[in-house]
Amino acid sequence: MLLLLLLLVPLAAAAGSFLARRREVMEAINLSSAVVTFTLSLLLARSTAASRYVAELGDLLYADSLSALVVLLVSFVYLACALYAIGYFRDDEKSQVFEQDVLGEVLIGKLRKYYALTPLFVFSMLLVALSNNLGIMWVAIEGTTLASVFLVTFYGRATSLEAAWKYVIIGGVGLSMALFGTILTYYSAHEVLGTETLAGLNWSVLVTKAPLFDRTTMRLAFILILLGYGTKAGIAPMHTWKPDVYSEAPVPVAAMLAAAVLNCALYGLLRFLILTSRCVGPEFGSNLLILFGLLSMGIAVPFILVQKSFRRILAYSSIDHGGIMVLGLGFGGPLGVLGMLLHMTFHSVTKPLMFFCAGNIQQHVGTDLFKKAKGGLIHAMPVSAALFLMTTLAVTGSPPFSLFQSEFTVLRAAFAAGHVWPAVLFVAFLVAIFAGFLVHVAKLVLGPDPGLPPADTCAWKKYTLLGLAGVVVVMGFWLPSPLYALIQGAAQIVMEVR
Amino acid sequence: MYFYQDPQFGERMITLMAALVLVLQIAMVAQRWIVTNIRVFAAQSFLLAGIANTIAYFNHAPHIYFAAVMTFLIKVVFLPIFMERLVEKIEIRQEIEPLVNVPLSVLISGGLTMVGYVVAESFYHPESGPGAATLGHNTLAVAVSLFLIGFFMMLNRRKAVTQVLALLSLENGLFLAAISLTYGMPLVVELGVFFDLLVATMVLGILVYRIRETIDSMDVSKLRRLRG
Repeated sequence: MLLLLLLLVPLAAAAGSFLARRREVMEAINLSSAVVTFTLSLLLARSTAASRYVAELGDLLYADSLSALVVLLVSFVYLACALYAIGYFRDDEKSQVFEQDVLGEVLIGKLRKYYALTPLFVFSMLLVALSNNLGIMWVAIEGTTLASVFLVTFYGRATSLEAAWKYVIIGGVGLSMALFGTILTYYSAHEVLGTETLAGLNWSVLVTKAPLFDRTTMRLAFILILLGYGTKAGIAPMHTWKPDVYSEAPVPVAAMLAAAVLNCALYGLLRFLILTSRCVGPEFGSNLLILFGLLSMGIAVPFILVQKSFRRILAYSSIDHGGIMVLGLGFGGPLGVLGMLLHMTFHSVTKPLMFFCAGNIQQHVGTDLFKKAKGGLIHAMPVSAALFLMTTLAVTGSPPFSLFQSEFTVLRAAFAAGHVWPAVLFVAFLVAIFAGFLVHVAKLVLGPDPGLPPADTCAWKKYTLLGLAGVVVVMGFWLPSPLYALIQGAAQIVMEVR
Repeated sequence: MYFYQDPQFGERMITLMAALVLVLQIAMVAQRWIVTNIRVFAAQSFLLAGIANTIAYFNHAPHIYFAAVMTFLIKVVFLPIFMERLVEKIEIRQEIEPLVNVPLSVLISGGLTMVGYVVAESFYHPESGPGAATLGHNTLAVAVSLFLIGFFMMLNRRKAVTQVLALLSLENGLFLAAISLTYGMPLVVELGVFFDLLVATMVLGILVYRIRETIDSMDVSKLRRLRG
């Protein structure tokens, strides 16, 4: 029942918000759906710790520790965004930003669009992690794009249409490659399994038979999957949609794209990586992953150093972190995989806070450009500005924050596997990104008071920020042991075959 | 044995139809009018439904009939009507205006077809007996070519509607690969893929319409405000 409930709750919330007439009702539906989803994901994590896996609906749904981890992260981000969205949209309404809409949509219609599409978006992300069938997983990943397109065009500006167009077209082409990869995987398994039945693409069946698959086909399949799901994860050079979409979408949506969809896309990649390394050996793909990972980090560096907008800089940070996770996988070994999964967890916890702070600042100063914001924001908005500086330190991986630990683990994995040059580049890119980020954000936050009116009045926004900041700080010093056990369990699933 | 029960005959039929599908794809590259392009896409999808039917019949794989029917309903009937309505509604100029001129485009498509054959060759295992792959040997080459030419079309076209058409024809290549390699995917997956295709096209249609409304142009190369 657990897996089914996890999928049904957001669906019901979407239907409820679609029918609701008042803003308060929609907010309550979305928030309670987020709370219930998060509770269920905790229960799921507990039951996958007890037994190796949970399967439901005649093996259509399947969850092991790896899926449980992704589900937990997705629902955590959903909860954070649901809390923040309440204050965010109320403030948006006050500042009359909705009236810039060229399409002339009315306020309540816009809110309904957000509150009905967001649970659908979450539903498809959860389906990615919970479906046993790799074909259905593809359908769900495509579904995350389709459910979020109209969230990207939320403000109805000409630029948001441009961003949405890039998002769908680049995503569509990328995912068509992933579908081709899925078809080829099915084909390489076809002769072994010898069936045209439903079970043909089921993960639980494929993983046991993977060593017998046709090797040539599996190699090609993995390359296509890497390109396809890499596009969805925004790994360079398929990352070009990311800055546009992240800066045009409303902040809660951008946060979900950055912290939750990234995990889902990498989860898809991981499943195929496990099959491929069982079939053709763990070395295959490792060099490709290192190449794409370093490329992503390397491309992020110049764009972060000369960035003009504090919304777009977050997208480049997300490309950088996607690159770090892929690098961790590329370095491989127990350390590399553990580092990747730790990084995924810490990134999902930290990134939303950064988006929320940037969102607060953008709402208050009415621009997303560093230059127009003039600096000295700490005087007008002490909470958001101070936390923005703090998460900048956290996201760029400075100790004592948790991302430092995971980046360090990835680095150790690099040396353990003997990849000295990639490790050197990895550190160089990290330092450059740290410097670039800190210069920009320090200029924005610190400095003489430009005389803005005081902000941080909305309680919803303020306490969401403070609560999340508490989690980020605590995570730096203490990782709850059940969570660590879950991450280790997930790493075990990847490692069994590598 | 009657000719309509002879697998050899089935294979020839499939190869013939696959060849026609490829010809139509190249015709799409060469075509200058959007409405004709949509109709060529419909004809191509119709042939695909035919291929699916033939494979289902000669290999006794009843679930492929289902895929054939879905292809017919969605890609031959619904999507072309939807696209033509869209083109009518946004009143765009009817010409496609590719970036690379037509003769060169056709030449490039020919080159991509060769690449498709080379790639498909690596999957050809005649020693493993008359499996799906040997039956669909030529078909797979056509599928890979459709995929590659579809990619090329996406790059080569500036108008939003024509990019959508290129994406759809690229998807046709995938469908052909799926049925020729493995007799189609499991039924649930097939259903899901069709559903996604349908929603994606409608979403793109709405976006096209809004882009037209707001920036008064369909030319996606004018979407250049977001940079850096």
